[in-house]
Amino acid sequence: MLSPGTIEKTAAQPARQRRIHLGVRERLAPYAYIAPFFLLFFIFGLFPLLFTFYVALFDWDPIGEHHFVGLANFSELVHDPRFWGAMRNTFSIWALSTIPQLLLALVLAHVLNHVRLRAATLFRMSVLVPYVTSVAATTIVFAQLFDRDYGMLNWFLGLLGFQHIDFTASVWGSHIMIATMIAWRWTGYNTLLYLASLQAVPRELYEAAAVDGANGWKQFRHITIPSLRPIIVFTVVTSTIGGLQVFTEPLLANPVGGLTCGAARQCQTLTLFLYEQGFGRFHFGYGAAVGVALFVIVVIVAAINYVLVTRIRSERP
Amino acid sequence: MKRAITAAAVFTTAVLLTSGCTPGSSSDTGSSDSKTFEFWSFTGIDQKADVDVYKKAHPDVEIKLTEVGSTSETAQALTTALAGGKVPDLVLIQGDDLPKFMQSPENFVDLATLGADQKKADYLDWVMKQSVTEDGKIIGLPTDVGGMAMVYRTDLFKAAGLPTDREQVSKLWPTWDAFLEVGKKYVQATGKPFLDNTPTSVFFQAVNQGSERYYDADRKRSYDKNPQVKAAFDLALKVHAAGVTARQTSWSTGWTAGMGKGDFAAVSAPSWMLHAIRTNAPGTAGKWDVATIPGGSGNWGGSYLAIPKRAKNPKAAWDYIAEMQSPAGQLAHFLMQGSLPTTPSVYSDPQLLAKTDPFFSDAPIGKIYTDSVLGIKPFYIGPDDATIGIELLNTLTSVEQGKVAPDKAWNTALTNVKNALRG
Repeated sequence: MLSPGTIEKTAAQPARQRRIHLGVRERLAPYAYIAPFFLLFFIFGLFPLLFTFYVALFDWDPIGEHHFVGLANFSELVHDPRFWGAMRNTFSIWALSTIPQLLLALVLAHVLNHVRLRAATLFRMSVLVPYVTSVAATTIVFAQLFDRDYGMLNWFLGLLGFQHIDFTASVWGSHIMIATMIAWRWTGYNTLLYLASLQAVPRELYEAAAVDGANGWKQFRHITIPSLRPIIVFTVVTSTIGGLQVFTEPLLANPVGGLTCGAARQCQTLTLFLYEQGFGRFHFGYGAAVGVALFVIVVIVAAINYVLVTRIRSERP
Repeated sequence: MKRAITAAAVFTTAVLLTSGCTPGSSSDTGSSDSKTFEFWSFTGIDQKADVDVYKKAHPDVEIKLTEVGSTSETAQALTTALAGGKVPDLVLIQGDDLPKFMQSPENFVDLATLGADQKKADYLDWVMKQSVTEDGKIIGLPTDVGGMAMVYRTDLFKAAGLPTDREQVSKLWPTWDAFLEVGKKYVQATGKPFLDNTPTSVFFQAVNQGSERYYDADRKRSYDKNPQVKAAFDLALKVHAAGVTARQTSWSTGWTAGMGKGDFAAVSAPSWMLHAIRTNAPGTAGKWDVATIPGGSGNWGGSYLAIPKRAKNPKAAWDYIAEMQSPAGQLAHFLMQGSLPTTPSVYSDPQLLAKTDPFFSDAPIGKIYTDSVLGIKPFYIGPDDATIGIELLNTLTSVEQGKVAPDKAWNTALTNVKNALRG
């Protein structure tokens, strides 16, 4: 006679086997599902990233010879005034475009969210038009607006009795010009993000505030901004990262001087400098070194952002 | 961060693509049809016209012509292709880009092996020299040169009380100093700028008129010591100081607009620039004329046809070069399209001498431009010539824009060149 224990054992055995079998499949399945992404990421993301680090250690002529030079490209870079100029330009253009852009988007979102706004969908959709317009087209039109002798902006200044400003030639002028193009393109996009999260804010809050006698500004200050805090953090992070990699606008806005955005490199950004070195002059090693430097900068800025985000989150009421 | 990775990824993918294969490894998917070949050209030079002529004469030949983009975009695409991608059978390389490729001649078919050494003598020797390596390999055959001239507005000259006849106007400025005096007179009479700018219209012309440019005869960089470079630079500063230019940088939006509105009366125009003037200021047709360049002669520009080593069908490409770039072929192309031949034997051809351009008051452009390339002294063009040239030019542009003091310009320029030559 079989003991109860044996019965239990024999019955349990296949069951457990099956369970183990299923367990392995269950455990593997998620990895299989995400494998395509990681496979592509390794091929087109991680490997190229590491390879850039590798190329940066060489004097690398794409159609000639490759010489190992160690960290020479980086020590050149540290002493290269063009690199520091590009760094200054990048951060200056970023600040000039991001800050006004996000403030304006906030105000626009608040207005577009207003209860009594007629044809709301029309207005909400039209703020997105600059975003879907080709960057190249926008850039060419703006470059003409800012022209020294024939631009509309200077024509207007002339009417008011002011001297013409040579925007493209000066550091500040060219930065303002490019920042305007970036802000023009992205304000609507950020407005829609803000608007989307504003619509999740209960109307009653505004109604109650209105009943209590809060005016538009007070509603904006005490209801709109606090409820948008997470999305504001998100847009700051994305526009920072995007702002550090501005390329098309400086490439097309000021074609004078080739890939330098002006004769004195007055608006050449880091990515444009990378492109000039890598693909204008074919110094692949030096271009890769600029890429590595840009990577480090973005990591640092992302880390600062992360710290700020956690702090803001913990401060939330 | 993700974008940084993407940017790095894009960059490295390009590096990878260009390093995947080693130059010289030939593809075995060669075309079975020996009459087909691929041809990369740049825009604005109308190689299609030539291709059509050739196809008409040889209906069995199939040519896949791709206009890659601007001259430098074409050179970039070629670099990428040479390093590992699919190469064309035939490619047009602009003169300024050629020295870079001359540094790695192993990437190209030595045209001497296909018969180019017998044709070498057909071309201007100083043009030919630039595409021959020190050990005698012929990398490319020249398709055109950029002879120099000064174009001017007859209506504006007349209003300023200056002569309008091209012979008389040419006599006004045998030298650049005389040219500057004419400019001063024009400004005095009209109160408007005379010339478009100094960096391109003065410096780039004058520096190309010397017997030596940025490299010496030993093929060493000498831009900082060569008195001819300094003289051309100082000349540009002098013209700038006289205040006779519109300070419109060539190819900028203001330059194009000013040209159409007649806000300056003269532009230095290598032969290939006539096309740009025609398209930028179509409303000014018939108001321009062409005079000789101050100093008499000079060349800026020109292109070469080359066959990459891994080309599938080098023979068909060579047959095309041999026929279309023969003296007769270049003459036909000039009559059709206006690029200046590099074959001096046709410079006295009656058809070339009779060629006039209605946009430029029926000026005999064939004669004017070929005259300007006959008196040329050859100089060596090195791999960093384009880089040096653009830094000097950019510094002069900064002077025009009031961002660099004229007395500091030369030192600033040398610093800029030194920075650009690193990396």
